[in-house]
Amino acid sequence: MSEASAPAAGWVCPFCALACDHLQVQIGSGDEPLALRGGDCVRARRGLQDFGSHGAELTATINGHGATLDEAIAAAAQHLSASRQPLFAGLGTDVAGARALYPLACACGAVCDGAGGDAAMHTLRALQDRGQFTTTLAEVRTRADVIVFVGSVPTDMAPLLLERCGVGDPAVATRHLVALHPRDGDVAPLAARAGGGVSVESIAPDGDLFTTLAWLDAALARPAGSAAPAMLCALAERLRAARYAVFIGAPAHLPAHGALIVEAVHRVIARLNVGTRAAALWLDGGNGAATANQVFSWLSGLPLRSRAGPHGLEHEPLAYGSSRLLDGAAVDLLLWASSFDASALPPPCALPLIVLGHPAQAVACTRRDAVFIPVATPGIGVDGHVFRTDGTVLMPLRAVRPDALPSVAEVAQRLLHTVRGMAM
Amino acid sequence: MSSLLLRGARIVDPANTGSASPRDLGVRDGRIVEPVAGEPWDQVIEASGCIAMAGGIDLHTHIGGGKVNLARMLMAEDHRNAANPPPLPTNPLELPSCGCCAPGTLATGYRYVEMGYTAAFEPAMVASNARHAHMEMGDVPVLDHGAYVMLGNDELFLQWLAEGGPDARNFDQLRDYVAWTLHASKAMGVKVVNPGGISAFKYNQRKLDVDEAHVRWQVTPRQVVHTLARALRELGVPHPLHIHGSNLGVAGNIESTLQTITALEGLPAHLTHVQFHSYGTEGPKKFSSAAQRLVEAVNANPQISIDVGQVMFGQTVTASGDTMRQHVQSALGSPRKWVGADIECTAGCGVVPFRYREQSYVNALQWAIGLEIFLLVRNPWQVVLTTDHPNGGPFTSYPHLIRLLMDRSFRDEQLEKLHPEVAANCALRSIARELTLDEIAVMTRAAPARLLGLRDRGHLGAGAVADIALYRDAPNREAMFATPAVVLKDGAVVARDGRITATPVGGTFFVEPDYDRAIEKTLRRHWSQHGSIGFDTVPIGRDELCRCCNGGRLLPAACFASAG
Repeated sequence: MSEASAPAAGWVCPFCALACDHLQVQIGSGDEPLALRGGDCVRARRGLQDFGSHGAELTATINGHGATLDEAIAAAAQHLSASRQPLFAGLGTDVAGARALYPLACACGAVCDGAGGDAAMHTLRALQDRGQFTTTLAEVRTRADVIVFVGSVPTDMAPLLLERCGVGDPAVATRHLVALHPRDGDVAPLAARAGGGVSVESIAPDGDLFTTLAWLDAALARPAGSAAPAMLCALAERLRAARYAVFIGAPAHLPAHGALIVEAVHRVIARLNVGTRAAALWLDGGNGAATANQVFSWLSGLPLRSRAGPHGLEHEPLAYGSSRLLDGAAVDLLLWASSFDASALPPPCALPLIVLGHPAQAVACTRRDAVFIPVATPGIGVDGHVFRTDGTVLMPLRAVRPDALPSVAEVAQRLLHTVRGMAM
Repeated sequence: MSSLLLRGARIVDPANTGSASPRDLGVRDGRIVEPVAGEPWDQVIEASGCIAMAGGIDLHTHIGGGKVNLARMLMAEDHRNAANPPPLPTNPLELPSCGCCAPGTLATGYRYVEMGYTAAFEPAMVASNARHAHMEMGDVPVLDHGAYVMLGNDELFLQWLAEGGPDARNFDQLRDYVAWTLHASKAMGVKVVNPGGISAFKYNQRKLDVDEAHVRWQVTPRQVVHTLARALRELGVPHPLHIHGSNLGVAGNIESTLQTITALEGLPAHLTHVQFHSYGTEGPKKFSSAAQRLVEAVNANPQISIDVGQVMFGQTVTASGDTMRQHVQSALGSPRKWVGADIECTAGCGVVPFRYREQSYVNALQWAIGLEIFLLVRNPWQVVLTTDHPNGGPFTSYPHLIRLLMDRSFRDEQLEKLHPEVAANCALRSIARELTLDEIAVMTRAAPARLLGLRDRGHLGAGAVADIALYRDAPNREAMFATPAVVLKDGAVVARDGRITATPVGGTFFVEPDYDRAIEKTLRRHWSQHGSIGFDTVPIGRDELCRCCNGGRLLPAACFASAG
């Protein structure tokens, strides 16, 4: 191992929706990848492994052949100009990238959808229809005495979720954790946290999660004489007695029609809030799509799955899903942005493809009609901002080392300039 | 740099000379200058028949940050025309952006500028959401902006207040914490919302009167208000404490409002959206106007300023930090849905859609109370024109509101459409006052500039920033104020006849009062034990602020010499 410099201070991890700022990055002096210091997290470790200690000197490709950035921009702009209905998807970027992609999408009339869009729509549609009551990590850490994990304990998506929720933290003397319809393998890691004021139970009555939440709501509505299964009556009693009950779930782990589950959780919370206090915390998939949703919402008024189309600003939370559009041949170009996660590759399709991608995605984007432009990753090669999963804290990402690659924002701005020039 | 002459406009500039006969107004390098005879000008705008005022300044409008974006996501129906999508802009300078009561930031900027406004202040920035709020404001084109950070419901402040006891033994610590928060969040002022009540709701307390103890910390709203107002005074922050009082929307809340004024013990403060805090309990419906009592207090306390939060009829959405009250109000929401949140041991938010109806007794009375306040306060310099956008109605209704205030016959016509018991009995019916152009100019630009300590804004004197709105003098004041002939921002034409002609990025106002840095050691420990991010991640530096605000100019506002 070559000599390494001291870990960069003030690093914010960009690899999951928790955006932790207590870990550090070790930069090697040789060819070794970036390494995690100051604690462990499997996602942060894996994320860093995809980056060398020195910025990649990677060139863009057009149809698999090396090209300069100028050539790649020109080729991509050509594709965009020729497209009658482009799809901008993935949207794995930061605030600056989303700010720059929005005018480009408007100029092209593109439909915009983030990676994991179906899951994002579970919470968005529930919000649009009925609203929500949510909480944030500091509230959970310091006050939640009952935490109900709905459908999964999503430490696969956010490995430090339990730590960030204060499980085992002295801020709350006794904390009860409930896994409601957990997946296989969810309970053991949770059970390992028991002791020292933390108690754990798993509840999986007959029937599915929809049914369970309906029963739970019924048990809360009629404390005496509910026909709900006994274990749910007991849970209802525990929730009523809690000072602050928090429901945590990952929409990505919910089944089809997960919006109904999100809505059912919110209904339970609303009922609890009549007499005590409760709130929800939904874990998004990270990688920037939730940030793009926030930015597009504030710029235009409309969240993702929208477009500036010939009839006006249109929002279609179901019809504008990426896979539906691709499967139905309703779009004729895919622009895919993914600057954080090397494994978030564009969905397979035969359409002209523009990828503003993680350098490690180069090899997967060499087909005909594909333009690949490697971009810097916020929090690794460039500064930036991403939203934490609770949607209220916008975390500043700091570059750990310089990078010659352009940011998504720079590429999108250049594309817009070129596309506008072609239209004139 | 460029120069420009506005020729022959009638200057309405109450901060300087008041209304005067037509004269010329020079602009050089973005500032107003006295024109000298024979001087050459790059551009001359013939403005005879026009009225020139400083650009409008909205000192209380929810334009950016977490709850505003939640309001956008909640109000999907605000972003379509029935079943049709809102049309794309025909102006190539505008990017698509839609919404009336929950507009996108781009639409917010365009619509404000088209009305002659050149600055707007977000009044409810959550400290933990400050980067987001600055990002959104940076994406409001043209307008200069700033924000008030919310304090008085954060657990640390309440804990320290409790530890200091009734004599506030640790006041210096609290004051330094206020200063540090202003620095860290790059705020222009401090707002307190339902003092202590947002936190109390987290501990399941459902009501908090001014002298009632917070169930967890055993401190009262009276202590919170007084301590914050004193801290800002001692720090020399130009905008005094911005107060959203206790018991918003509750019949009889005038008592809380008057108690809040007494809690200040003569310290300056700004009471915001007072219309929502001026309710009595008289009459058959136990809901009545207490505008007269509020006005008497304002007239008797020249150190107090207010903005009204006028209710306008139609659909809107209320976006507030007051989780405790919004939870109750959610039962009255229309459409029936709402968003609430407990935020980072520092704040909360509640977003409830509302439709104010002329035939609703309560809504009609709210409308009348707001107008009564506008028309009864003696000194217009104590009053700022707001609808608490979007809570009383969207800011685009300002021209209509101005006509209501300037035109009694128009006002009486509207009154006739209301719930008959309100129309027949309200005091508004007998108020003959019609506000003058000078008074409107005070309430929409001169007073807000003065209350924010912005010496080179809100007026047209030599040296002032050339933010200017040129209105065509017309008897229909609604039409006149809806579509100025020309709007200048920093001396450049940004709108003509209601059409945007340039979209520069606005600047960001903030204050950086002095404080004893020793407090950071204590704060660091607190963040480690109670926070969800590291202490070093909290503050926004100037370079980062510039990136958040889209590269707009940083406009640090001077603090005055400490009065402490």
